[in-house]
Formats: sequence, structure tokens, C-alpha cells
Amino acid sequence: MTEKLGKIADGLLSGNVEEVSNLTQELLDDGTDPEEILQKGLFAGMDVVSQKFKDCEMFIPEVLRSAKAMQGAMEKLRPKLSEASSSKAGTVVTATVQGDLHDIGKNLAGMMMEGSGFNVIDMGIDRKTEDIVNAVKENKPQILGLSALLTTTMPKMGEVINALKEAGIRDQVKVMIGGAPVTDDFAEEIGADAYAPNASIGTEKALELIKA
Amino acid sequence: MPKINQTIQETPYFRVLSEDQIERIYSAALDVIQRTGARFYHEEALELFRNSEAVVTDENLVRVPLSLVEKAIKTHPRKINLTGRSGKHGIKLDRDTVNFGTGSDLPFTYDRQTGERRRTTYQDVYDAGRILDYLPNLDFFMSHGIVQDCPNTQTYDRHQCLAMLEGCTKPMVLTSVDGEGLQDLWRMCSLFRGNEKEYRLNPMFITYIEPISPLMNDRSAVEKLLFSAEKGIPCMYTPCPSSGATAPASLAGMIVQSLAETLMASVLTYLKNPGMPLVMGGVTTVLDMLTTTYSYGSPELSLASAANTDVSKWLGLPMFSTGGCTDSKTLDEQAAIESATSLYYAFLSGANLVHDVGYMDSGVNASLESLVMNNEIIGMVKQIGKGINTEEEYLALELIDQIGPGGEFLTSEHTLVHYKEWFQPKLQDRSDYATWVREGQHTMADRIQSETDRILKEHEPEPIDKELHQELKKIVQDADERHAK
Repeated sequence: MTEKLGKIADGLLSGNVEEVSNLTQELLDDGTDPEEILQKGLFAGMDVVSQKFKDCEMFIPEVLRSAKAMQGAMEKLRPKLSEASSSKAGTVVTATVQGDLHDIGKNLAGMMMEGSGFNVIDMGIDRKTEDIVNAVKENKPQILGLSALLTTTMPKMGEVINALKEAGIRDQVKVMIGGAPVTDDFAEEIGADAYAPNASIGTEKALELIKA
Repeated sequence: MPKINQTIQETPYFRVLSEDQIERIYSAALDVIQRTGARFYHEEALELFRNSEAVVTDENLVRVPLSLVEKAIKTHPRKINLTGRSGKHGIKLDRDTVNFGTGSDLPFTYDRQTGERRRTTYQDVYDAGRILDYLPNLDFFMSHGIVQDCPNTQTYDRHQCLAMLEGCTKPMVLTSVDGEGLQDLWRMCSLFRGNEKEYRLNPMFITYIEPISPLMNDRSAVEKLLFSAEKGIPCMYTPCPSSGATAPASLAGMIVQSLAETLMASVLTYLKNPGMPLVMGGVTTVLDMLTTTYSYGSPELSLASAANTDVSKWLGLPMFSTGGCTDSKTLDEQAAIESATSLYYAFLSGANLVHDVGYMDSGVNASLESLVMNNEIIGMVKQIGKGINTEEEYLALELIDQIGPGGEFLTSEHTLVHYKEWFQPKLQDRSDYATWVREGQHTMADRIQSETDRILKEHEPEPIDKELHQELKKIVQDADERHAK
């Protein structure tokens, strides 16, 4: 079992999607505690990945390949996790606000979060405020990630936060925002919980937010 | 006797794609349009496509037969002339004529008092305009920053255009919020020419429009394209793919995809009203795979832009390229290295408009000092472009013989005439060490800063006629009223 957990970590590092998924299934079939697979296999492997990324030994394409392997394993594992541990790998809903069709930053952030074990539900681009509010009601995510590239669409993020308040669900979800013209000050101004200048800081902040 | 049948290469020659490679890229772009297609989020555009040989499926996915693309691409004029508001400054976009200018819409500006970055204001755009108006090596003006101290983000473009017109008399490239915004900008600029038809003969600006890579065209971009086609407004449809993220990581693949995006705009405007002046563009660069920024300082940006320029000449379209920009957060060594490198290659490639001069922090921050620094670099670049003249007077045989072995050239008439053809630096220091110390050991950064101070203090652009100015303001106010909540 320990050997297989080690192999999971190695598989994540080399981004072997199939191997990591198969090993996770095998361990589950062997009756291994899902919590142990998560901690000693998956999280252990992804910790090495993020360290290597910080040390400039791995670059975005390799990290995303590892994240994909992580996501594959999580699909197998998530239904077996207890409520307590699955909240450690919570749900994130992401969307680009109305009037904006740019999504590469949002997608990148989503993929990196999947790599950290989050279940990411991406609503796509040009999403109406009311649709975003409904998605929060429906999916009950711990985190809502909003994105806008343009100064002309940026105010829509504030509009979403106000709509969450009006719907009485603002306190049920943490809101994170991002995009080139966005700043910490702007996040504060519109009452967002966090701003992330890039996908990896976004992932770090998401992890902090669900701990808080 | 003059020699006959000679080829004289007076200026440097630089290209990165062969004729055969260009054919390959163009052919591949046609395949993308026919096979993959592009999405259009605009009903009239879809209707225009449906009523043509194009095929619309899956709500808004448009695929176009190459016969239609080939028809459309031939209808754009080969050249565009632009003149500034006062008529004093003009530029030509024809083959191998290179003009330099700023970029547009940077959300932040470095405050000259505090050094901190803050949101760009009307005054910042006006000041950038004045600097641009003054600097002799910069030929056209994009707003540099995006005006954010206006009542409504949906009318920022009218305020911005007014700030630009007040500050600068050079030709412009303008961004707009949507079709309605573009119409207002076009009305504002038309006022300087008297009427619509006169304006069309003597336009002041090119409208800047972007697809969203890969292969997406949003509502506002399409509105602007259709309005430009209707009114014959010179227009650039300039993809901003990041290689490896929103386009293939291979530069050829990125160029193919960008070209397909541009050709789609050609077809759409052709269906609306053939003959719109179209500029090919593209800020074609890489996504930095450590930081995930869209890099403005990468060598790949210059290489891919030069390749795009080769394609544009082959197609007979003017080209909008990029240079003088940096990923650096301050005006430091990195900024100078990256700015100089991209300016050289954009110039040598022969692109008609080299924009984004003065862009800092990967297209996020504006600095007025960066414009002043780049003016100096462009002076050097343009000097290289003059090449070597080998006519009799320049071979100087008579002179060499006259001076003879062991003589000097300093006092000859020939020197007095020809040294003036050299580049004379304005800000770079070439003094000896002792003189440099005696004069206060100023660095390039010091000199750039005091020159920027001086220009801002002294340079006033030619004013706009008072009545005309009122009419311009009226258009801006009307827009604000229409959009007031």
C-alpha cells in the first residue's frame, strides 16, 4: 500500500493521468482509507509539484499535466471521502462576468485549483449576474471565482456581490476576483474576500479562504 | 557615366519568412477558416454570413469557403494616409514605411510625484498626448492609458478621445467601447474636416478592434467592424494570442490562427460593404510559463511580429506591429533592453505602425518617462534604417586623394556637410569621465526625468478652435447623458 501511495505521488509529478487514476482505484478496491490516499498519495505528490514550480524546476504546462492527473484521481476519490475531508477539497464555481468573453486567466486558475483537490465548476464566459447567483444557490460552493479583463466589465463583479447580498447568500460563499485591471483596493471596494494576481496565488488564497 | 542595370541595396534587408513559407501559412489559414471556422456573437453578422456562401452551424459558428475569403481580401486598399487634427502631422501606411507610436488603454499610470502606480486619469492621457506631440520620433498616438475618472465606464472612450485631441496633433489609433462609441469618435474627428465625405478623404484615426483568440468575435468587436465597413473607417483587427495558452505554442501555428482571425474580419466587412481599409495586426507573443504573464518583452514577440509583417506585405495589407515595450515594472536596464530589441526588429521588418512604445509591466502600467527614453532609441533605430549611400559624393574619392596620407578630415567642407547626417543623441552621455563627474554624474534615468519635466512644463499643443471644442464636448456630454443611470 505504501508503495502504491508513493507511486501515486511519482505519477502526479510526471503527470501520468492514467496511472494515477488506476492506482487510486486499486487502493480503493484494496480497502485503503480514502483519507490516507488523499493525504499520503495525492496531496504529498502535489506538494512536491508546487515546490518544484516555486523553484523553477517545473513550468505551467507540466504543472497543469499534474493537475489533470490529480483531477482524475479526485473524481474517483471524492464520492468516498467523508464530508469533513471533502470540504478540505471544496467546490469552486468560476465565471467570467457579463459582457466579457476573455477566459484564459480564469481557466488557468480553475485548473490550478483542481490540482489542489478542488472540485471546479466552470460556468464559462459572458455570464449574467443572476445566472451566477443561481449557480451559487444550486452548487453551494465554498468559493466563487469571478474574472474580468476589461475596465468596462470590471464593475460587473461588484454587481454580482451585491446580488449575492440581495439573495441573502453572501455569507455562504467566499468571493475571489481576478483580471488584469483588478487590484486589492478594488476587491476591498466591492466587498470581495480576496484578489489574486495570478493562478498560483489564487490557489494559495483559495486554500486559506476555506481554512478561515 | 551612371551605371545601368544595378541593384543598389541602400537600406538594411530583413525578413524571416520565405515566399514559400508565406504561401504555406496563408494556405493553412484558409484551411482553418473552412474547416474550423470562428464564432461570432452578433446577429447581423450571422445574418450576413447566412446570406453568403458561408455556413453557420451550432448557433454562431461560421465557416467560410476559401473562394469567398480570396474575393474579400482583394478589396482592401493597399495603402492608408492619416493626418492629425491640425493637418501638420501626417503618416502614410504603404509598403515599408515605418511609423512609431504609443499603445492604448493601460489601466495604471506611474504617478510622477509619488512614483506609485495608480489608475489612469484624463490628465494622464492629456499629458501623454503632449509628450507625444512633442517627441519628434513618435508619429502616431494611442491613448497610452485608459481614462477612468469619467462618470461611466461605458463612455470612457469619448472622454479619452477628447483628452487625446486636446493633447496631441498627430494621427491617432483609437479604441472604443462598442459601435455606438466608435460612431461618436468618428463624429468627433469628422468635425475637424467639415463633413463625412471630406473626412473619408482625409481620416485622422484608425480604429483598433480585437478578436478574442482563439477564433472568437464578441458583440462589441463586431459592431465596430460593421460600422467601420459602412463608413469606410480605416480599421485594424488585431489578434492578441498568447502562444501556448490561446494559440499553439509553435509560432507558425500562432501566426496561422491569427491570420485566420484577421481574414474572418475581411470576409465580414466585405459582406457588409466591400473596400474598408483593413490593417493587419497582432500582438503575437508567448505566455510566460512561470509567471503566466502575456509577455511584452519576449524575443518571440519580435520574431512572430516580423513574420506577420512578411505575410502582410505579401497580402498587400498595411501592418500594425509592436515594439518599445517591456515586462519590467520600472524603467530600468530590463526595460531598455527589451524596448530596444523589439524596436529594432519591428523597424527592420518594415511594419507600418509600430505600437505599444512605452508599455510597461506587460501591458499594465504607463510611464511618461518611458516614452521619452524610447524616443531616443527610435532615433538610433531610424539611423540604422538610412543604410549606406554609395554614390560618388559618398565614396569620397576626391576628398581622400585631396587630404592624402597623414592628413585630417575635421576641417574639410565634406565633413561639415555630412556629419549632420549622423544620429546626434539627445539624452545618451558620450562625455569623458572627468567631464561627467564635473557635470554632476547624472545617469540616463536622471536625464530622462528632467527631459520629461521640461516637456511637460514647456510644450503646449496647438489649441483646438473654441467653437469646435464646444461641439466636441457636446458629443461627450450627450453620450454621458444617454448612459446615465
